[in-house]
Amino acid sequence: MNRPRPVVILVALLVAATALIAAELVVGVTHKTVKIADPCEQRTPFPGRGVDATIQRVVLDGLDGAACRLHTSREQLVLSLDGKGRWNAHTIEAVVRGGLLRAVDDAGRNGDIPGLLVPLVRRFVEHAPIRALVEGGIRLRDLIG
Amino acid sequence: MPPNRTPRWAVALVVAGVAVAFADSSIVVLALPDLYTRFHTTITGVSWVLTAYNLAVAVTALALVVFVHRMRGATLFAVGLLLFAGASVACSAATSAAFLISARCVQGAGAALLLAASLPVLTALTGSTLRGATIWTLAGTFGAALGPALGGVLTQAFGWRAIFVVQAPLALLGLFAAIAVRDVPAADETVAPARAQRIPPNVCIGLLFGALVGVLFLSVLLIVTVWGYSPIGGAAIVSVLPAATLAARPVERRLPPSAAAYGGAALLGLGLIALALLPYAGVGFTIGALTACGIGLGLSIPVLSHAALDLGADLSRSGALTIAVRHVGLVLALASIAPLLAAEVSPAGDKAELRATAVLLDAPVSLSTKIPVALDARTEFARAQTGEIPNLARPFDAHGAKHDPTLARVRDTLVDAIKDTITRAFRSSFLLCASFAAAALGVAFLFRRRGIVA
Repeated sequence: MNRPRPVVILVALLVAATALIAAELVVGVTHKTVKIADPCEQRTPFPGRGVDATIQRVVLDGLDGAACRLHTSREQLVLSLDGKGRWNAHTIEAVVRGGLLRAVDDAGRNGDIPGLLVPLVRRFVEHAPIRALVEGGIRLRDLIG
Repeated sequence: MPPNRTPRWAVALVVAGVAVAFADSSIVVLALPDLYTRFHTTITGVSWVLTAYNLAVAVTALALVVFVHRMRGATLFAVGLLLFAGASVACSAATSAAFLISARCVQGAGAALLLAASLPVLTALTGSTLRGATIWTLAGTFGAALGPALGGVLTQAFGWRAIFVVQAPLALLGLFAAIAVRDVPAADETVAPARAQRIPPNVCIGLLFGALVGVLFLSVLLIVTVWGYSPIGGAAIVSVLPAATLAARPVERRLPPSAAAYGGAALLGLGLIALALLPYAGVGFTIGALTACGIGLGLSIPVLSHAALDLGADLSRSGALTIAVRHVGLVLALASIAPLLAAEVSPAGDKAELRATAVLLDAPVSLSTKIPVALDARTEFARAQTGEIPNLARPFDAHGAKHDPTLARVRDTLVDAIKDTITRAFRSSFLLCASFAAAALGVAFLFRRRGIVA
């Protein structure tokens, strides 16, 4: 059997390299990447049932509202919670508390939080430290439970 | 010395010396994280361990162009070997980054001497200028491709110092080859050399070595520092490069020289574009891209090297010139890519930090875990801003990821998101390297009527 001509091998190699690039482009289009969502737009609520999932939905929704008010992302706001970000502690406290209060009201309307508990949760949100609110699912659970 | 009395062991020793000296351009790439940790320096500081060697080879080889033909090849080869071996020992004993970088400069100077002198030595050993130049070219091409893989294996098995410890005896063994040709007089290179026709192939070689920065440095950096592979894991991946370079040899021998040069440069460029367009931090596409680069290297460099070498009256000087050009190409490409990469990686780090936080906030773990982990992860990212290597597993492990499979899964998803983001930050640098290969292709095409490689 004759060996393939070297020029044919070279052309085949060039075609294979081009095909590799084409395959990468196709995979690149279909590959799922993490996107930073616009906090002002409605997003799919945190999934799950029970108290923990409810608390997460309220807090994440509250953070979205706060981030929207600051014209930033929810992620950027979370990274600023320790006071090392671009906003001072007072600003963060005001917008996060406001966002959480709105989220509690929304959760009450949706039936995510029993209507009777809404005033109690609101009072808690109005007075508890911000970091404790954002991190402190246990205390909220105690309150709701 | 007639060809039928060629002492093969002596040729093998010279080949080993040439391959190691070329491999040294990139041999420490996989050891950079270890060197970084050992010397508590910055990423920029540790990168000088690479640059210093290539710069020293380039400067010394350029100086050699002036007077190398007046010296006895065997003597210069022996001096180069001794300098290289001594500096290798000094590198292996380095206790500070500054000392290591200084020793690398001396090692580079020794490498330039031994590389320039090895051409007339191989000619004397084989009894044929053409055969000597062919062996020299192949040893250099394979050595350049072998560097990262060899360094990775040695680093993993014995630590970074082993890279230099191994080189010293290899270099000293080459002294026996120098003794075997000690009676050969200096080459008669008194005829005015025809340098003008050597310029286009040398420009092509310089540009292709600039392109090789993407393969020998950027891809290795990506695999080890971004994707987190161990030196031996990284070595296994990049070992496709020398394997492909070697596999290309039978095709290169049968191809018309111009087709090998054009096709090789095009394959190298396409391989670099494939590295630039990696859709995610994965090995599969990377191996394909590195294979294309290795074949491109194996096809183009040997024929261009032959065109750059004057096999007649100007062998030593043309050899020194092409050594200098290769390393000038590496250094200039490193100098242009480093700021580009730094400019891209920094904003990519910010983007990766936000994406990592997004993964965390959407993860099925409690708020009392995800918020502190997000803030601790930011502290790790801040380390990268000051030139340190962040350890993103640390905040997760501190919050129980070692025993909590859900948190461990979140950690893995987050790390993948970060790797994907930083991998894309290498895109412009790979494309710049691909443009060097395209420029080499353009130069070869422009000068085709002057028979650049025919």
